[in-house]
Amino acid sequence: MPDLRSLCILLMLVAQSFSSVALAATTVIGSKAFTESVILGEIATQLTKEAGFDAEHRRQLGGTRVLWSALVRGDIQCYPEYTGTLRTEIFSNRNISSDAELREVLARQSIWTSESLGFNNTYVLGMRRDRAAELGITRMSQLAEHPALRFGFSNEFMERADGWPGIRARYRLPQQDVRGLSHDLAYRGIESRSLDVTDLYSTDAEIVHYDLTTLIDDGRFFPVYDAIMLCRDDVPDAIRSSLNRLGGQIDETTMRKMNARAALDREPEAQIAASFLRDRLHVSAEAKVQSRIARIWQRTREHLAMVGISLGLAVLVAVPLGIVAFYRRGVGRVVFAIADTLQTLPALALLVFLIPWLGIGYAPAIVALFLYSVLPILRNTHTGLADIPRDLRESAEALGLPRIAMLRYIELPLAARSMLAGVRTAAVINVGTATLGALIGAGGYGQPILTGIRLDDTKLILEGAVPAALLALLVQWVFGWIERRWVTAK
Amino acid sequence: MSCAIAFEHVTHRYQHAVAVNDVSLRVEPGETVALIGPSGSGKSTLLKLAIGLVWPQQGRVFVTDRALAADNLLEIRHRIGYVIQSGGLFPHLSALDNVTLAARYLRRDRQWLDDRIAELAELVQLPRDALDRFPNDLSGGQRQRVSLMRALMLDPAVLLLDEPLGALDPMVRHGLQEDLRRLFQSLNKSVLLVTHDMAEAAFFSQNIVLMREGKIVQRGSYRDLIDAPAEQFVSDFVKAQRGLHAEALDA
Repeated sequence: MPDLRSLCILLMLVAQSFSSVALAATTVIGSKAFTESVILGEIATQLTKEAGFDAEHRRQLGGTRVLWSALVRGDIQCYPEYTGTLRTEIFSNRNISSDAELREVLARQSIWTSESLGFNNTYVLGMRRDRAAELGITRMSQLAEHPALRFGFSNEFMERADGWPGIRARYRLPQQDVRGLSHDLAYRGIESRSLDVTDLYSTDAEIVHYDLTTLIDDGRFFPVYDAIMLCRDDVPDAIRSSLNRLGGQIDETTMRKMNARAALDREPEAQIAASFLRDRLHVSAEAKVQSRIARIWQRTREHLAMVGISLGLAVLVAVPLGIVAFYRRGVGRVVFAIADTLQTLPALALLVFLIPWLGIGYAPAIVALFLYSVLPILRNTHTGLADIPRDLRESAEALGLPRIAMLRYIELPLAARSMLAGVRTAAVINVGTATLGALIGAGGYGQPILTGIRLDDTKLILEGAVPAALLALLVQWVFGWIERRWVTAK
Repeated sequence: MSCAIAFEHVTHRYQHAVAVNDVSLRVEPGETVALIGPSGSGKSTLLKLAIGLVWPQQGRVFVTDRALAADNLLEIRHRIGYVIQSGGLFPHLSALDNVTLAARYLRRDRQWLDDRIAELAELVQLPRDALDRFPNDLSGGQRQRVSLMRALMLDPAVLLLDEPLGALDPMVRHGLQEDLRRLFQSLNKSVLLVTHDMAEAAFFSQNIVLMREGKIVQRGSYRDLIDAPAEQFVSDFVKAQRGLHAEALDA
């Protein structure tokens, strides 16, 4: 007899065996989803380890909001941030004028701030080195003397008050040839000499790659985005003083070169961080670079844990719910309305929405995947029951079996094929959606995909995408086998 | 026991139509009654009323002298065997599991089950190996024999048969008709059988009940229906049933 219990048990076992990821007493350091943040996070992690603590780097967790709320909740203990970002994004309503004031505001929220790491990652204007030398330009105020210069700015920079409109007013710039275009095109325009000046971030790797000169903001127009480390107050003093050793150690050129090594030379961030610590702080940090097999295996476990646990929970909830929805039509309408609505929420929005409650990592990923799995299983359970032919249902009733026995011996087995198809759909969707888990620190196959997109590295993207596709096929095959083995109506 | 099945002024309406309209009918113990009539005349609904698949809006239904009610429904169903045209066998269970499901649920012991299966297989003339197969692997005739075994498993006092032979081809049907009549006679069950075939009704029973639009038009033997029709419809119905035979013979 088809037995759904054994299926549930199987799923739970799979989930359980992969979910043993304990993080107790480890200092977790986060980083945002761009290269510079990942390198700084890696440096902080290795430095913490060197100080004798257990540390883990949750890399490329997403944007400022995600990291900030993770820090406040205590899901991570430290992460690299910029003073300008804190002022404009986190405390935008407080009008904080100085770094000293910012430190005080943070301290009141039990957040400790390291000394400035030594660089200011803000907007700068860049020119070809030879072109700048030819005109003798080193400072932004000098641009006013050359009205024929051709400017090409990123579209965002064209619009922002602290972009082109602002510098034009501050420096009284007379240039007429000013175009808005994408960053990539701007670099190419500069390289081919069809543009003279473009906007950049002061630590962009491209500054190294295209050999650009950055102009000094002598009118002090651009806001300051000093890099710092943020930690929670409860992080041990020894770790904090260890991180403070970074104070003033990373200037713009150093950071720019490290970014270039990661983005252009494809050097692993861990290795870049280790060589920085060795050269600058004479710290013998170890760059632990996992082998590809070990990496894939770890991500497979993370991915399976997410998919398995969420799917198991969804089966446990959606099957009974589907049965109730079938027999109680009023309940059914409410249940389906809720499940349908949940399904329409964009995955990314749902994940970010869950972070304030559940923090980062497995919990929000599993809850989100669980919510997405409920509808297909629920609907197919309901359909499976509704599709039982009337004469079979009446024959079953005529045997004089009580409700619950009918459900167990007749109705559920007859609906099993449809229910299993629902679980299968949910599983395949989950395998794909779980790649988004990497955005909130749950790891999985999304991790290399995310890194690959960040570094524009196709090989890395495939390192996540291929196993994910294979896993989806495997899931299809396993469910096909279960169906043939247990559920096929003879 | 004064009666096996009794309908007392029973009315059942589906959403838009009256299926059974103020019907009173008794089936005595050991008696076989054949229900006949055009489609939609309420024959099948009457059977469903007897086993509680539908409930009357008016009137009462008695089975083995007990009024059908929610609290005695399961118990009464155990005293009724129900066979439908399609057999109603559960495709996920073997023939044997189909037959024994209710008995196993009622925790009849192994020995009892084995004895009963052997006895019933003999009775309905089903080869032993057919019991190990799944319904989809059985022939139409075998399926109905299995369905009959399932209906008889708990040794019910009453059999409700809803066109049990309707889906079978003529040869198989003829064989089963013989077997069924022998079975009714030997088991001494009370049988209420629905058919749309007058010859079959006459073959099984001296007690034919002709229905039309939810009402009983006439009850009597085949002879009675021909010789003393209660109204014109009875003659028309009998004639229509005989018509094809007659025409075929004339040609």
